[in-house]
Amino acid sequence: MIEVVGLRKTFGSVNALNDISFEVAKGQIVGFLGANGAGKTTTMDILCGCIGADAGLAKIAGFEISEEPLEVKKRIGYLPDEPPLHKEMKVNEYLTYVGKLHGLAGQDLKRKVAGIIERLEIGGVQSRLIGNLSKGYKQRVGLAQALIHDPEVLILDEPTEGLDPNQILQIRQLIRSLRDQHTILFSSHILSEVESICDHLIIIDKGKIVEQGTHEELIARLESGRQFQLKVRQGASSLAAKLKAYPSLFDIVVDDEDGQKISFRTKDQDQDLDRVAREVLDGGFGFQELALKSKKLEDVFFQLTR
Amino acid sequence: MSAVMTIAGRDLRAYFASLKGAVTFFFLLMFMGLFFQSFCSTYLQFQEQASQYGGEPPKLSQLLTAIFQNLHFIFLFIVPAVTMASFAEERKTQVDRLLQTAPVSTIQVVMGKFGAAAGFLALVLIASAVFPLYLFKYGNPDLGPILTSYLGIFLLMAGQVAFGLWVSSMVSHQFLAFLFTAFGLFLLLILAWIAPNISSAGGVEEFVKYLAATSHLDNLFNGLLTVADVVYFVVFIALFLFFTNVSLDSQRWR
Repeated sequence: MIEVVGLRKTFGSVNALNDISFEVAKGQIVGFLGANGAGKTTTMDILCGCIGADAGLAKIAGFEISEEPLEVKKRIGYLPDEPPLHKEMKVNEYLTYVGKLHGLAGQDLKRKVAGIIERLEIGGVQSRLIGNLSKGYKQRVGLAQALIHDPEVLILDEPTEGLDPNQILQIRQLIRSLRDQHTILFSSHILSEVESICDHLIIIDKGKIVEQGTHEELIARLESGRQFQLKVRQGASSLAAKLKAYPSLFDIVVDDEDGQKISFRTKDQDQDLDRVAREVLDGGFGFQELALKSKKLEDVFFQLTR
Repeated sequence: MSAVMTIAGRDLRAYFASLKGAVTFFFLLMFMGLFFQSFCSTYLQFQEQASQYGGEPPKLSQLLTAIFQNLHFIFLFIVPAVTMASFAEERKTQVDRLLQTAPVSTIQVVMGKFGAAAGFLALVLIASAVFPLYLFKYGNPDLGPILTSYLGIFLLMAGQVAFGLWVSSMVSHQFLAFLFTAFGLFLLLILAWIAPNISSAGGVEEFVKYLAATSHLDNLFNGLLTVADVVYFVVFIALFLFFTNVSLDSQRWR
């Protein structure tokens, strides 16, 4: 549904995007993850036709954005980091205006405005001026604006930025409820958010894609040797010294707080776990536990963007 | 076309939703009323003198020229105030993304914004028709020169709006848009007066005078409607709307 190949963009001497390529399949929710200034908004702005790329292709539903911008714009709904709201308008007036811009008219327009107001639960504020709404409601109206024409692709730039914890949960729930009906590209620098909403992740740093895949895939791929944790009843430090003799085991560390725990990494899991278990049993250290220390997305992110 | 009307309709309502609309209406009507009142009394004085002491009585076109040329000065401040926010403010508050991502072309956006600003000022002019109506109540003036004067002032204003939109499309702060537009319009106003100083060569001087709006307005204020004058204003408007379109399009690539 979204196809990006070799996208480049410079602002003066700053290289904002450097050869970005990715694909998003129909119906997927894809998280675009990166620190502030990594190039997330620039990529999204190019996809929506707000700015032009210096090189590369950006296709949405088969239409190239610089060649057929109007066809692309009919098929996307965009919620920028700052929702584009006319503060002097009432919510229902504003949504009617956006609907008209998207070519809706008559009964269809009325039905869609009423539908989106109900879907986003903004009926209570529909006759209020947008400028007087709270940030959470403004964000909902922004989302309603992006959804009014029922677009195939929804592009959301940090939709939970600046909201309070309750509002964040509501917006996340709302985005999850849009799964299946829309293909969603969703940017954030909050890792837990991306982890909880998205099927697929793209990590971007300094204008380059550093990794992409499902988050389990990313975690597995990025661990340079999987990390395990071993717990014994006694003599952890002498056991650690013995384990250091095996060249395929590395990063062997005895836990400072709990002196009975040793963590280590291995590149050859099948062989090494047997060896470790044998060392523990033969040396009489008292085997208690051997477990895979799961790697969190945070670690992956820091490792990639450090 | 419907997208142009949608954008124009929204922007037109926005003028009335803000204090700006009311202030513009108030100032334009107030100045027009002042000019009308003061020039009408001068006109009556001259008429009385002519009937008492002989000589040629003043013409209606002289009264209209006096009123509308003075209004030209007021437009130097009113038009920039109306157009300054059109693009500059939307860019600053990032509301421009709404039109950038909607399936409308840049020219539709430009035409919509132009329609709103020119339409708003046209409404003020319509409201000001109350002054000429007084002339009909207490006298029997020629309708022709009044209509051509109104057409002239409307064309002038539309040209100034197109210029103001172009400036607003290039800057990111509405105050800067106001300053640059007012300054640009002032230069256009004095072109005819400074033309002899620019070059004494006949051709150049004539050309610079041709560029000035004032030389085209004189005919219209005198009740003379010529194709050349109307074409001048239409080309002026089209040219600056085209510049605005180019300016907005080029920003996507910076």
